[in-house]
Amino acid sequence: MSIDVKNLHPLEVKLLRHVCLNEDITTDRIVKELGYKVGQCNQAFSWLSGRGCLKETKREKKTIYEITDIGRQQEKNGTPIERIFLLLKVEKSLLLPEIASKLELEQSEVGSAFGQLSKSKAAQMDSEKHASLVPGAVLPQEAAVTAELLKKAAASEDGCLSDSDLSQEEKEAIAKNSKKRGASGSPFKASEREDIFYALTEIGDETRQEILKANITGEELGELTPQIISSGEWKTSSFRPYSVNAPVSKLVPGRLNPYGEYLQWVKDKLCSLGFEEFDGPLVENEFWNGDALFMPQFHSARDIHDVYRLKNPSHCKTIEEPWLDNVARTHKNGGDTQSRGWQYDFDEEFTRRQVLRSQGTVLSAHQLTHAKVPGKYFGIARCFRYDEVDATHGADFYQTEGIVLGKDVNLRTLLGLLKMFATEIAGAEEVKYVPGYFPFTEPSIEVHIKHPVLGWFELGGSGIFRPEVTKPLGIDVPVLAWGLGIDRMALMHLGINDLRELFSPNIDNVRTRRGN
Amino acid sequence: MPKIETTESLFFGLLGKTLTDDQLEMVLPRAKAELDGHDTKEKMLKLELNDTNRPDLWSAAGLARQLRTYEKGNPVLYDFFSTADESFETGNRELICHKEAKAVRPYSIGFAATGCKVTEDILLALIQSQEKLCFNFGRKRRTIAMGIYRSDLIHYPVHYTGADPDKTSFVPLGMDEKLTLRQMIEKHPKGIEYGHIVADKPVFPYLHDDEGEPLSFPPVINSARIGAVKVGDEDLFVEISGTRLKDLLLCASIMSCDMADLGFTILPLKVKFEEETEFGKEIVVPYYYQSPISCTKAQLAKVSGLELSDDEITASLARMGLHAFVDGETVYATVPEYRDDFLHAVDLIEDVIIGHGLGNYTPQMPTDFTIGRLSKTEELARKAKNIMVGLGFQEMIYNYLGSKKEYIDRMNITDKDAIYIANPMSENYEMVRPSIIPCLLESESVSGHATYPHSIFEVGKIAYLCPDTNSGTVTRNSLGFFSSNSRIGFNEASSYVNTLMYFLKKDYKLAELEGDNRFIPGRCAAIQIDGKTIGCFGEIHPAVLVNWGCNMPSIACEIDLDCLL
Repeated sequence: MSIDVKNLHPLEVKLLRHVCLNEDITTDRIVKELGYKVGQCNQAFSWLSGRGCLKETKREKKTIYEITDIGRQQEKNGTPIERIFLLLKVEKSLLLPEIASKLELEQSEVGSAFGQLSKSKAAQMDSEKHASLVPGAVLPQEAAVTAELLKKAAASEDGCLSDSDLSQEEKEAIAKNSKKRGASGSPFKASEREDIFYALTEIGDETRQEILKANITGEELGELTPQIISSGEWKTSSFRPYSVNAPVSKLVPGRLNPYGEYLQWVKDKLCSLGFEEFDGPLVENEFWNGDALFMPQFHSARDIHDVYRLKNPSHCKTIEEPWLDNVARTHKNGGDTQSRGWQYDFDEEFTRRQVLRSQGTVLSAHQLTHAKVPGKYFGIARCFRYDEVDATHGADFYQTEGIVLGKDVNLRTLLGLLKMFATEIAGAEEVKYVPGYFPFTEPSIEVHIKHPVLGWFELGGSGIFRPEVTKPLGIDVPVLAWGLGIDRMALMHLGINDLRELFSPNIDNVRTRRGN
Repeated sequence: MPKIETTESLFFGLLGKTLTDDQLEMVLPRAKAELDGHDTKEKMLKLELNDTNRPDLWSAAGLARQLRTYEKGNPVLYDFFSTADESFETGNRELICHKEAKAVRPYSIGFAATGCKVTEDILLALIQSQEKLCFNFGRKRRTIAMGIYRSDLIHYPVHYTGADPDKTSFVPLGMDEKLTLRQMIEKHPKGIEYGHIVADKPVFPYLHDDEGEPLSFPPVINSARIGAVKVGDEDLFVEISGTRLKDLLLCASIMSCDMADLGFTILPLKVKFEEETEFGKEIVVPYYYQSPISCTKAQLAKVSGLELSDDEITASLARMGLHAFVDGETVYATVPEYRDDFLHAVDLIEDVIIGHGLGNYTPQMPTDFTIGRLSKTEELARKAKNIMVGLGFQEMIYNYLGSKKEYIDRMNITDKDAIYIANPMSENYEMVRPSIIPCLLESESVSGHATYPHSIFEVGKIAYLCPDTNSGTVTRNSLGFFSSNSRIGFNEASSYVNTLMYFLKKDYKLAELEGDNRFIPGRCAAIQIDGKTIGCFGEIHPAVLVNWGCNMPSIACEIDLDCLL
């Protein structure tokens, strides 16, 4: 047994303190002795039984007589028998209808009451139907008892009398004046009830001892109110200890979106590693989205990025110089990059075609035109792809990308950078590098990591920007370019497996979702 | 990324040994390939090729060649290539490219092969190579199309010309009746799929032999007789048509090397052009046209971060299939016949790196000192988010694409400023969101069961038309918030705005907002700073709520954060 006595409600405490082993515990008793309301009493019994402190010992049937409205009137004005008896004492002799009209009673009531008077030889009727009292008659005993019962019932709190409290004579009298159903014409309504008897159990007694030992009275203060504080009542009372494990109500707090929080964390992490954030517009053109990244306008590499085009305006007005000319020449014959180029006629109409940004690398290309050396940059960019939307493809999604510019960066520093990401951002245990392919980097490296939960997976793609990308945009130092697939980790972090859930409009989903 | 399927027997036969899946996964990265699946019941391997600039790897033979070469360290030698200086004799095996074809699809080349009976494995491999090269490298047959024919039925020379689409007819593969070329693009499944490439041209490409027997209607469909290759055939003719001669020659080189690896003897073919080309008027195909490539050892060390000995360099390149030598400070290499992906010295350098083995390059931490920094936009966004959270709002993150129904119709506004997508995948994603408010209302419409009040917000991007800019559009960083409850209205919204602006330290004024159907007239306001409107808020109009299927009184606000920077 281990009942934390601090968990007990004051109703339970007071009851336990009040009773002893081997005593009958009933509603009547507790109501009488502790001043509980019947409801409170039942509540306390129910709780204590649940805890094993009380056990039911027996049930007793009894009849309860409840005074009716008629009963209360009669208690005030007298019963019809009493009244007829008193009237005849004064008037001596009256016809029954005369009695009815004087006392404002129904004929039938008068008839039935007079019947009882004459039956008990207190009244008589002559041949002319005049009613009179038998000389020397007193009010019949039964009528007197009934009047007393009415007084008792009216005086009791709930207007009830229990047959267990009545004498045999009273029982007989009340039985005649009550009905079980349709009692509105009778002074009492009778109903059957059951008295349940409880007794304290061993557990109950142990609990009772603990309460006494802990000096818990049930009179401790509950809710602290301003009144208690200012009155000083708190100085003399003790506080009821609360159950720390009681069920709590749910709150709806204002909150950051857990996916957004994760992205913030990644941003903070990248800042801590020396990266500066960049950003850009959602609407791009083929020039920045592909041409500046040395993806030939005709080549299948362009199919990697099936893009959304704009209906209107379908083309931008201009592409900034000297970038347009530099890039166009590079595609055509390599320009100043010592590349042979793609050897085709660069389409200056196509390059102005507007698209929704399909890859975060666009931002890197823009950044190159005004980047510092050495410089480290990153962006978490919303990108759009022409893809069927399903659990692994969204209409739009975030890409995390960046670049590192430096006189002496090379393949080995790229591997070092990837290792740093793997440990710092992905919490990887092991890192593996494999050759990759991206149209804008050479060499290209994919980094695979062994994650403690997810196992081996591709963390990202990277490489050294091709000279055909950097030179036309005015950069003469090597540029490491990288992209991280953090969605996979975000899903794991949030305990979901459907990319669409990251952008859920469902308020309940977002309210209850939490990160690891 | 191209994906191929091959039987285990064909692939491991070409590789010269059988590998487990784990062993395969170890070696495939050398060819930038991945094991995509292994159906052990059907004994089929699925392989994904990541290098979209190396079409030679998109076949079982090509991939196996790269892996075999890497392992052995010896480039494979092919002895059937002609060059500008030296051509093989071809006898009467000729293809004449007539100038009539120039208006529609200028070039066609080819070669013949013999000495190997076509098996089911080989047929599957040939069809797959044809599909990958024409679909991925040839841009869905626009620039490259390939046909394989029964050489034994052909009377050489073969003629490639432009023909009258309504007067030229033959029985196409897969059909029983004779159709004109124009009927083929209207009726034949391949015609319906690829006919658009030539449909608007005055003449259609047509390939026939010297006796007028049809071979095909490139790039659409072969003829039913000469163009029907089946298991058991031994003499094949491969023809490739398209727009760029160099691409066609590379395709012919790839196909001929693959077929040689499969056991065929390659029979060169002379192609005669009626007009001058970059390779002259006559080429014997397969034809080696690539130039040598070079890089300096200094470049190599600078890019890779590692200095290698001359022997290490040449051995690394040999593993990648390149004959190389070092002369002083320069590395010279011969490009393999089946590759044409060396544009710049860095491409050679990458081959050295892969050949040497990535594992031999130890990672090094970057040492340059740089300052990390969030963008100003992000800093402001975080400030605003923190205030909204303090006001009891839940942050949401929404997609930026949606439908006109959501963004325009249900909001009772016009689409005059909306950015539409020209090629939407579905009408669910047909425009960029011009405002955050419809997203917030979508939340309300799907969250009736969530405990009220529904107080939500987002900081994100919106975009709309703006004629003054270069793109004619503008992207803005925006804050939108929304609250619904049985007792909420303009005053609460105004209090939120007031608190937000107080802590963002912005003095603002409110002005009456007229003609905005999203809100109840007289219960909405424009937020102004120095006379410029930077946002608005108000009670959402019941008509809008009903459009969204909502019945709880709601307020919404949107503020252009870029105006507060």
